[in-house]
Amino acid sequence: MRLLVVEDDRDLNRQIVTALEQAGYAVDRAYDGEEGHFLGETEPYDAVILDIGLPLKDGLSVLELWRNAGIKTPVLLLTARDRWSDKVQGFDAGADDYVAKPFHMEEVLAHVRALLRRAAGHASSDLSCGPVKLDTRAGRVIVDGNAIKLTSHEYRLLAYLMHHTGRVISRTELVEHLYDQDFDRDSNTIEVFVGRLRKKLGVDIIQTIRGLGYLIAPPNDQPSSAPGATS
Amino acid sequence: MDIFSKAPKSIATRLFLSATFWSVTLLIFAGIVLSALYRTSLEEAFDQRLGVYLRAIVADVATAGEDTRTEPGQLGEPQFELALSGWYWQITRLDVEKAEIKASRSLYAGKLPRLADLGVVPGIGGSRRGNATGPDGRNLRIVEREIDVGDEGIYLVQVAGTTDEMNYQFWQFLFAIFATLGLLAMALIATTALQVRYGLQPLRNLQEEVGAIRRGEGERINGTFAEDLSLLASELNLMIASNREILERARTQVGNLAHALKTPLSVIINETSNDTSPTADKAREQALIMRDQITFYLDRARAAARYGVVGASADVEPIVSALMRTFTKIFQDRPVHFSAELEGAVRFRGEQQDFEEMVGNLLDNAGKWSHSTVQLHVASCEPVQGADLNQSFLVIVDDDGPGLPQDLRDAALVRGGRLDESKPGSGLGLSIVVDLARLYGGGLDFSESPLGGLRAILRLPCV
Repeated sequence: MRLLVVEDDRDLNRQIVTALEQAGYAVDRAYDGEEGHFLGETEPYDAVILDIGLPLKDGLSVLELWRNAGIKTPVLLLTARDRWSDKVQGFDAGADDYVAKPFHMEEVLAHVRALLRRAAGHASSDLSCGPVKLDTRAGRVIVDGNAIKLTSHEYRLLAYLMHHTGRVISRTELVEHLYDQDFDRDSNTIEVFVGRLRKKLGVDIIQTIRGLGYLIAPPNDQPSSAPGATS
Repeated sequence: MDIFSKAPKSIATRLFLSATFWSVTLLIFAGIVLSALYRTSLEEAFDQRLGVYLRAIVADVATAGEDTRTEPGQLGEPQFELALSGWYWQITRLDVEKAEIKASRSLYAGKLPRLADLGVVPGIGGSRRGNATGPDGRNLRIVEREIDVGDEGIYLVQVAGTTDEMNYQFWQFLFAIFATLGLLAMALIATTALQVRYGLQPLRNLQEEVGAIRRGEGERINGTFAEDLSLLASELNLMIASNREILERARTQVGNLAHALKTPLSVIINETSNDTSPTADKAREQALIMRDQITFYLDRARAAARYGVVGASADVEPIVSALMRTFTKIFQDRPVHFSAELEGAVRFRGEQQDFEEMVGNLLDNAGKWSHSTVQLHVASCEPVQGADLNQSFLVIVDDDGPGLPQDLRDAALVRGGRLDESKPGSGLGLSIVVDLARLYGGGLDFSESPLGGLRAILRLPCV
């Protein structure tokens, strides 16, 4: 999952980015409204954490520009102006949720998890696919009741696929959503991570759809009849 | 002493009463002066008539000695022949021991009183003029003059006429003049009333415009005013605009201050959250106290900045719709259903942001505690009993949560009071609602909800 943090306070920006990275997300950062607007418009983020009080272009204007351009990325507003009128204005501009400053980082993490979950159409923070369970709150993966230890990249890959169960995800999409913009992107590494993940999970839930990408589905629900499907 | 000190305070009434008072006073004064002048003129004319008779008799007396054919007092006027007609003449010889009196037949057996005996001083030409009671008891105007005809003797010649006729004429005049002046006074009062009404119409228009702003029906004084009022109207408009601008600036500054303080507080709280040292614990604890204090005092500062703002009002329906949209999004992860019902179009008399703040806090509180349902009901605007100009409406928020026992309801309204730490929030929400509602002359009350939880009843002014 790839996120964008737009916050002009460098310390707070750093704290949020660090917390999100520790939680297993790929994170890009912006320090003003114009940079944030540009990134949000050009990169496919899964969610954006957007401060309202930004230099060059305020957060609400940035949000409105995104929405007018048809960008539906879930947006979590950070606001120090915690009056209802500000919140109403934020939601009417197209925000999906808000966190009032000052906040504990856990609040931001919880709201981001909920945003991602809702955007993927899941009702619970626990995602499951056959014997594999992903606890997005704790960042844990359990297979048949046993916890599996994954690296942050492996976790990101599994989380992204499990958020989009039943949909074929291309390698390009995975690259775009698993790495931040500073990362040296190479789609071949995706295959390496998929291989490692299959081995660690020990269950056959990730299918390679030749020429298209990857599909995650329960073992007894495999599209074996699909052309080019291989394990 | 100011005669208008107890008069009504309306300018129109004061102007009307003042103009009426002076018009009537001047007309009465004019009536008195005209009557006096007319009376004097009547008396002059009467005296002249008597003087003609007097001179004729005096001529008769002076020539009586030379021409025996002439009998003094033959004036040829029938009223001097008729007994007690009111018209008399009398000639009295004064230089003999026993006065010789010759008089008109009309005097019959009576005698005219002497003005000299009544203390009347002779005027120009030596004649006396005055009033006295005649032998018939009627008031007489008498003109008398002493003439010395040498050896023929000294005579006092008197001519008298009754004043009845003159008095009658005078009273006729008096009636006519006061009837005329009375009609004039009524016409003046009517024109004064029209003038006051016409002259003060621009003031009344201005009053209505200001009233509309005060009731929240307008934002500025509109219309064209008389030259001397247009300056006042534009000054008032400037004042209202400046008031709004100051308010807006104060709000922006408060918002900026909130932003300036809360962002570093976020940094402190998060920087210390992974540190378990006593210093970090203390810093975190103090940062949280600061957060609550900032929220509390910034809300009060906002409320103080708003106090006394003229002419603000807001349509309730769009605000409620926007709040419903917002709460539906905020509570999308919880099975809480928000619904709103409005009895009719209501306009809150106050700032839109304050209404949002009060209702938002009540909905937020209800949402946190409810199991599944929060209902908002806005009653229609109704006049407050005992105060014709004030109207109020009710905002009722019901939830199906655990409710609140009577003894805890008052505690929920205390500053910063939070009854259960398990629900998020600074605990300032309800007390801010109470403070804001009181600023607007309304209030917040609690009762049991038909849904089983708490019912919050907010009373606010409306237009």
